[in-house]
Amino acid sequence: MDTVLEVSQLHKVFPGKRKVHAVNDVSFTVGRGEVVGLLGPNGAGKTTIIKCVLGLVLPTSGSIRVEGKDPQARGSGAAHLLSAVLEGSRNIYWRLTPRANVRFFTGLHGLDGPAQKAYNEELLHKFGLTDNADTEVRNLSSGMKQKVAVVCALAKRTPLVFLDEPTLGLDVETSYELRGLLKQLAADEQRTIVVSSHDMDVVQDVCRRVLIIAGGRLIAAETVPDLLALFRSRTYRFVLEGRPDLSGLQAAFPQAAVTASGGQTAIELLLPNRADIYRAIDLIREAGGVLESVTQPGPDLEQAFLTLVRRERDNACA
Amino acid sequence: MRLTILKAMFIRHLLILKSYSFNSLSGIITMYIVFCLMFFGVQAMVPAGSIGRTLEGMLVGYALWAFAIFAFSELAWELTNEAQFGTLEQLHLSPAGLRWAVSANLMTGFLYNTLILSLLVALMMVTTGKYLRVDLIAVIPLLVVTVLGVYGLGFAGGGLQLIFKRVQAFFQIIQFVLVGCIVAPWDRFPWAKYLPLSLGNRLLQRVMLDGERLWELPLGLLATLVLLNLAYLTAGLLVFEAATQAARRKGMLGHY
Repeated sequence: MDTVLEVSQLHKVFPGKRKVHAVNDVSFTVGRGEVVGLLGPNGAGKTTIIKCVLGLVLPTSGSIRVEGKDPQARGSGAAHLLSAVLEGSRNIYWRLTPRANVRFFTGLHGLDGPAQKAYNEELLHKFGLTDNADTEVRNLSSGMKQKVAVVCALAKRTPLVFLDEPTLGLDVETSYELRGLLKQLAADEQRTIVVSSHDMDVVQDVCRRVLIIAGGRLIAAETVPDLLALFRSRTYRFVLEGRPDLSGLQAAFPQAAVTASGGQTAIELLLPNRADIYRAIDLIREAGGVLESVTQPGPDLEQAFLTLVRRERDNACA
Repeated sequence: MRLTILKAMFIRHLLILKSYSFNSLSGIITMYIVFCLMFFGVQAMVPAGSIGRTLEGMLVGYALWAFAIFAFSELAWELTNEAQFGTLEQLHLSPAGLRWAVSANLMTGFLYNTLILSLLVALMMVTTGKYLRVDLIAVIPLLVVTVLGVYGLGFAGGGLQLIFKRVQAFFQIIQFVLVGCIVAPWDRFPWAKYLPLSLGNRLLQRVMLDGERLWELPLGLLATLVLLNLAYLTAGLLVFEAATQAARRKGMLGHY
């Protein structure tokens, strides 16, 4: 996978009476066709990083390359490669229609002609905006406004797209729809998409990899499965038929949490040693228990994110 | 690519003008009413014999002032509006850059303003019965060059907006400053000819009132007009460029 975006030792200190070190020595790369999540609590520095890449904020030091071009240098050609939704539906003209907005923003990117027009129409159709393409944006729902903003960014056909909170204000169905479309675009057109969102479900669903920022520093850059694996605990959940006497199991594993409800008994058990699972099953069998299921509840991205961010905060305070 | 951007700006301008048609129309009507009040007020107060060319001169000055206000608004107010809409950063993302995007907006604005103000001037001439000589070969170049200086002020004002954000009060004062630039008497203040609009106003009066041709105007004054307004434009662009860099450094380009 070739590299589309390369950020190296990026620092940003906002000048003023009280200097703010917003980004502190951040380095990462993003490959072509990747959908990457940029996560972090409020004020972590995500938007500053995005704006530095887009050339909207001047970095204090460090280097940024988009397909080898410097977006900070005028005339480098990097601007041709970049598009973004930064403030959702505020990024478009509410007095224009979705069709006119898409036409304007692609024109602003130097794109025109029948092929571009056809692509604009295709995107409007894919995002379910065709029926409202000639209605002024101000008369559309907030979800539709958000979709128009995303279409305006995607229609520029740039290899690298930044989407800051793309599902903000969308209902569940539209959010799922948008996630599907983003995955499809990344796969079909080899578009690289960086999604910054507080919605972990969106990031977990859409992104292959996540970059976690806290206090201006990059604290994790892992694929989603690898990150989840780091936080997978050795807790198992056994569900049994009926209510067998589990005193033997409880004696062997004092930490076992047993709850009975209806005609079932559930046992939550932390088994750091893999071999202990067989011992636990033997004890259940000896008690006359009939196993209905054994599961290992996995952590979700939200838990992993919170653990990492809190750990970083504690380290910073220590 | 720049032509495509210009085309996109032109269409957007047209659509927004249509969308805000009531506002656009009421702006023109207000300017017309203010002119009528001034014109007939002066006519009523000053004895007919002593007015001389004052009324025709007022017509030229007022039209130029209206054009300057439109030109200044095109830049300074537009940047304020774009920041409020949240689209300013999107303009900056254009491969041609914010300066070209803004300049393309200016060029399309110039076309619209020329059209609208031509109608306004025609209406004013019919109302007052004072008909000016509209020699397009002379008027258009003089107007373009004169307005370049105002664009310089607009770029500087837009630059200040990028940094200080709330500068609307300053923009309103500029309207009155421009009136002062037009009416400043050269005999009492010789340096006044170097103010924006001042020299352009005088030369336009010579063309529109005295019927002089472009090539009949003193070459020295024409050269001064060009150099002066280019200097204002360059200074404005430099302020705008410095302000854009400062806004990027402070991360406040999209703030409002």
